[in-house]
Amino acid sequence: MLLQMNNITKSYGNVTANSNVAFSLRKGEIHALVGENGAGKTTLMRILYGMENPTSGEIRLEGKPVSFSSPEDAISHKIGMVHQHFMLFPTFTIAENIVIGREPSSGIGFDRKAAAAVTEQLGRQFGMPVDPWKKVGECSLGLQQRVEILKVLHQGAEIIILDEPTGVLTPLEVKELLIAIKGLATQGKSFILISHKLQEIMEVADRITVLRDGKVTGTVEAKDTDAEKLSRLMVGRDLVHMSRNEIPAGKPVLEAAGITIAGSKTKPLLDGVSLHVDEGEIVGIAGISGNGQSELIQAISGLMKVDTGSVKLLGQDITGEQVKAIRERGLAHIPEDRYQWGVAKDATVAENGLMGHADRHQRYGVLRGSGIRRMVGEWVSRFGIKTGSLSTKAQYLSGGNLQKLIVARELAQNTPFLIAAEPTRGVDVGAMEIIHGELLKKRDAGGAILLISSELTEILKLSDRILVMFEGRIVGELNADNATEEHISLLMAGGKAVG
Amino acid sequence: MDKLVSFIRSMVQPLLAVIVGLAAGAIAIAVVGGSVPETYAEMWKGAFGSFYFFTNTLSRATPIILIGLGVALAFRAGFFNLGSEGQMVLGALSAALTAIYLPGPAWLKLIAALIAGIISGGIWSAFAGWLDAKYRMNLLITTLLLNYIATLFAGYIVSYPLKDRTGSAAMAQTMMIDKSVWLPKLFKGMSLHYGFIIAAVCAVLLFLFMRYTVKGYEIRMLGGNPLFASYGGVQRGKMMLLSMFVSGGFAGLAGSIEVLGTQYRYLDGALTTPGYAWSGIMATLLAGSHPLGTAIAAILLAALQTGGMGMERNTEVPLEVSNIIQAVLILFVSAKITYSFIKRRKAARS
Amino acid sequence: MDHLFDVSLFASTLRLVTPILLAALGGAICARVGLFNVGLEGLILIGAFSAIVGNHFTGDVFASIIFAILCSVLFSMLFGYMSIHLRANVIVVGIALNFLALGLTTFSLRAIFDVKGAYYNKDMVGLPKWDIPVIKDIPWLGDVISGHSPLVYLSILLVIALHLFLFKTVTGFRLLAAGENPTAAKSLGIKVTRIQYGAVLMCGVLCGLAGSQLSLGNVTMFTEGMTSGRGFIALVATMLGQSNPIGVAASSLLFGFMDALSIRLQGFALPTHFTMMLPYVVTIAAMLFFKDKGYMQEARKANESSR
Repeated sequence: MLLQMNNITKSYGNVTANSNVAFSLRKGEIHALVGENGAGKTTLMRILYGMENPTSGEIRLEGKPVSFSSPEDAISHKIGMVHQHFMLFPTFTIAENIVIGREPSSGIGFDRKAAAAVTEQLGRQFGMPVDPWKKVGECSLGLQQRVEILKVLHQGAEIIILDEPTGVLTPLEVKELLIAIKGLATQGKSFILISHKLQEIMEVADRITVLRDGKVTGTVEAKDTDAEKLSRLMVGRDLVHMSRNEIPAGKPVLEAAGITIAGSKTKPLLDGVSLHVDEGEIVGIAGISGNGQSELIQAISGLMKVDTGSVKLLGQDITGEQVKAIRERGLAHIPEDRYQWGVAKDATVAENGLMGHADRHQRYGVLRGSGIRRMVGEWVSRFGIKTGSLSTKAQYLSGGNLQKLIVARELAQNTPFLIAAEPTRGVDVGAMEIIHGELLKKRDAGGAILLISSELTEILKLSDRILVMFEGRIVGELNADNATEEHISLLMAGGKAVG
Repeated sequence: MDKLVSFIRSMVQPLLAVIVGLAAGAIAIAVVGGSVPETYAEMWKGAFGSFYFFTNTLSRATPIILIGLGVALAFRAGFFNLGSEGQMVLGALSAALTAIYLPGPAWLKLIAALIAGIISGGIWSAFAGWLDAKYRMNLLITTLLLNYIATLFAGYIVSYPLKDRTGSAAMAQTMMIDKSVWLPKLFKGMSLHYGFIIAAVCAVLLFLFMRYTVKGYEIRMLGGNPLFASYGGVQRGKMMLLSMFVSGGFAGLAGSIEVLGTQYRYLDGALTTPGYAWSGIMATLLAGSHPLGTAIAAILLAALQTGGMGMERNTEVPLEVSNIIQAVLILFVSAKITYSFIKRRKAARS
Repeated sequence: MDHLFDVSLFASTLRLVTPILLAALGGAICARVGLFNVGLEGLILIGAFSAIVGNHFTGDVFASIIFAILCSVLFSMLFGYMSIHLRANVIVVGIALNFLALGLTTFSLRAIFDVKGAYYNKDMVGLPKWDIPVIKDIPWLGDVISGHSPLVYLSILLVIALHLFLFKTVTGFRLLAAGENPTAAKSLGIKVTRIQYGAVLMCGVLCGLAGSQLSLGNVTMFTEGMTSGRGFIALVATMLGQSNPIGVAASSLLFGFMDALSIRLQGFALPTHFTMMLPYVVTIAAMLFFKDKGYMQEARKANESSR
């Protein structure tokens, strides 16, 4: 056995992130680590990579006990990690990104030519060619992923940890990545693959370990299992299939016509996007993140100026109006990134809940505290938001609870139109079911919802109609009944729609 | 219980800073060969030793409070307004000129002078806000550089076109304001005037405004996370102009009150030499931009200064010791001492 | 006005640009590791004062410069400790440092020299004037370039040295990396904190030199708050030069020229108030050409959702 992790326990105060976890890795093996968000996958790998110290337990490499107190220790023991959020320097070249920390030098000088040569050689050796002089910031995400893997290989890694490596890639890039991983495994490299995408795992992994609530619920050979069995191990029960009521679509609520935003790059950020969302309808926008979804949300909600095109809400032109005016006309908005847009971390739960509701809770410009506390308190109990009190600062709430607060706040605006961007990113299954249920309830009550999500399962589960975005354009529209995951994936990657 | 703990926690840092500041002062006193307890006793007497000294301290605190409030408002909104000095000077100059040259009854002159001070301080400050909102020029630096321009401009006005040529003529100053327009004193024979009442009322009003009004809420959210605020419909540009105007208005009011209540004319350097503006900024930093806390901190800083004067009168120790205490105080409050202390303890436990 | 643009104007430009340039280079290094150093003003002031103190006690110029550097470094390390180790708000620490410098120098002026406002002593030795062998004989150019203090020439060398350091050495490369993406740099085992401290230390050295030039370079004296905003002008020079040594040098030159012009204009029949305003007005005007990063980006960085 190349690597063994025995009885690993990690607790933060009262919270146990890992409890008696056992994990092992053979040479040349691809071992997948799966589980829900918050199941403890990332914690386990941070321990292995020296970023966290385990509360108890031991790590053995080739039989010998080791302990890492920092990533450098792990790196020097030939363990490398590719993080979910890339650890790259956008203004540096590919070669610079790969050799950093182990730069070829002449005296005190940094020999950039040698770095480029090393990079080219590395690319050839492992079958992942790159242009060493290209700036990383100008590379596609797939190429950036490749740079990350080459960097880890340049550090001499034999064990490579990949944390959610396919989250931001196009289906085509995912295929290439999986092929590359398999190729490297046959060359003797060993992989730990953290993921929650069961199909990819079934395709590439040799063995699979499932974590739930910090405990191992099973370690199985890939050939002895299937996606269904795995998901049962992950969730601990069969998932309820939500049914959508069929209701006839009503009048258009939101109409966008030919929205274009030029931006500073050669390609426009948004290129003639037209869409409409009607009463009692959820329109899902699928696409790899970074294909114009953020700009579309900001253009509709008034946070970004559009160059040409128009947006109408309830038949009235809202193009170029202030955010506040648009909100007053009937728009609510669950933002795509809760920390960036959704809250002020130093403000209290009540204060964060008040945003957008202030006008209803004031008289002559003076806020009425009791009404506000009643309103937010009601959300806390209805959505099961775990918070110390209404005066707790938002930064002390977990991501899922914060998301529930934001969703509650925006649903309570009671507007005819709602933008729901990544409404369940990073929340646990329970919270996800609550949020999905609430969105469907709003739709059934005649609300119009624009759902933007990079999770295809979410799009397929909730949407009545699905639009696919690619490079700032809408490249396809599908009906919920005949949409398939394969079809959408193809469109997301810029392929042509068939049939 | 929760509130009590958080209150105590919020007090630990300023208290610790005061202790460290006094310790640094003690070292400075020892260095120049003074006796520490004796010197500090003189300092206390100089600031609070008698009713006269106490009111004197409050009178010195008056402009510091007002400036501190203005800076606190801007800081809360997320804008580093370091231009109080220039805003105060322009406010003072306009107030003096209005009080001297505006025709009409005295009460009208007084009110008009105060308003003129607020408006000119506000506009000068909002100008920097406009440069940031429109041209994205770093507010911290523009406000700072505008100080020099404002003081030089005011200096020019009282050195050439509107110089007082009636008296000894050597000083760069305006004419004396007519006695009827002066802000009345609170107690006969004391320096304390009604300006202090205005400042105290302003502190309470600003506290209530920030805490209980919609606009105050919006300003706080803008300072907390500007993206969140704009997402929620707060217009940053408009808020920036507004809060910078009010912020500068406070500084302008401070200048006007100083002119109408103490100086009775605009004298070049009379407002900049005592460093009122910088003390106001320090008070804000000390109090973490809390309006009532800012007022208290302003009185504390004024006490350090008046106490320092008393100390210099009665001991060999120079007045500049107060500067050291102030500076160290600020430095330690600015560091999140407790924060990292707690963090390290946590790290040690796990 | 025909005598306005004469030799002495350009010669004094070179002399006046030096403190701004040195401090701006210090600011640039700090900016490169992600620390916006508002405390430059205070650091120069400390340097200027301690140079005079060193001069007073040793009577040796070299020793005074070393002393100035030591004192500035001490204070820059304080800045580093507060903002890196204790994670205080960098801007607040910078502002506080300026207060501390002002308070400490006025106190020490009183405690050491027993004077208020300014200290001057004709026995103190100023920086020597170096004549550059061949250049000094070239007619106009010789008068402009030759005959300055060694610090003037050192500052020019430092621009080149810093450029080479940042863009050609391994350490410089890692410094850039630590500033560009600290999290990533840390994950690679680069000692980000140590690099930040190193940058702050270099900034201290440079500000010590800047202060020495200010108090020993022209007239050998110290006045309270004698930096009068030069630290902030240097900060603008850092921003305009995009923290690039060559660019910083160019923008410092502009501000130094304005400084010289402002002094030069006093000889003409203009109110001094307006000539003294010139450097500040020009600095603000120059900022028009530099777009601040913008609050959106700043806020995005501050509220990053990733770890």
